[in-house]
Amino acid sequence: MPSDALTTLPDDALLVLYANGDRHAAQALTARLLPRVFRQARHMLGDASEAEDVAQDAMVRLWRIAPDWRQGEAQVTTWLYRVTANLCTDRLRKRRGVGLDEIAEPEDPAPSAAQRLQDRARGDALQQALDQLPERQRQAVVLRHIEGLPNPEIADVMEISPRAVESLTARGKRALAALLAGRRAELGYDDETA
Amino acid sequence: MKQHDNEETVEVDALLKAARDPVPDVPDGLTARVLADAAALQPAQMGVMREKPGLWVRWTDLLGGWQGMGGLVAATCAGVWIGLNPPAALPDAGVLLLGYETADFTTTTAELTSFGWDLNGE
Repeated sequence: MPSDALTTLPDDALLVLYANGDRHAAQALTARLLPRVFRQARHMLGDASEAEDVAQDAMVRLWRIAPDWRQGEAQVTTWLYRVTANLCTDRLRKRRGVGLDEIAEPEDPAPSAAQRLQDRARGDALQQALDQLPERQRQAVVLRHIEGLPNPEIADVMEISPRAVESLTARGKRALAALLAGRRAELGYDDETA
Repeated sequence: MKQHDNEETVEVDALLKAARDPVPDVPDGLTARVLADAAALQPAQMGVMREKPGLWVRWTDLLGGWQGMGGLVAATCAGVWIGLNPPAALPDAGVLLLGYETADFTTTTAELTSFGWDLNGE
């Protein structure tokens, strides 16, 4: 099938095409899903290198399940977010016991305009705050506020009730606010609100 | 205090929105690795993938495919031909196995004449 025509197809149809041997379907799925998987893993793990490994692993599992995928039973994105979340959880569990000093520092920002530096500083501050949240709160906050998933889909991904999702995201946001409270001036918010 | 809390929440919302908006830059190497995995794990190429064979195909495969079936048909034809028109050099199977000529067997056997049928018309 021509690659242009594939962009309009839903994820599960692309997955079936891939299972039937269409090479372009893999490219379309990768272009559509890999950025989300990578972003989710990066925010969950706070480390780009580990996030690459997790994203690749999650996509491998997608390719493997393609021949057995049943169209209409589940959303591909929901399944993939769950796989990614589980892979991140495994990594975080293995990481426990590793001292804070051993965790990689966020990459240095490339020299650029002042605004870009500040954006980068804010992004790093958010990531550092996310890293301090309990794992389930972090997962819920990333899926809700960064990936933009609705609560019922997050409930499917995390295998909990939508009310539990609401509770986790609310507590997560409060915790983030508390963690970032002391860095308002550093992040330039005092200037903006004054 | 309430105002301060609201400001902090707004800042968190702004930070989360900023993290959500940009399309993340996926490293080129990662995309290449993922596509290589996809190619390696793809079940079959379009058009090359075979449908499940039918019963007849599976049966003929069991007998050796078209070559085996050809041999089987040739052997069957040869057997029928020899049965209908045996070469003179071949011994009579009736003499060998039963001890009398096939013609005698068909005309004198009690089973074939006992119901008033007389194959010789006598």
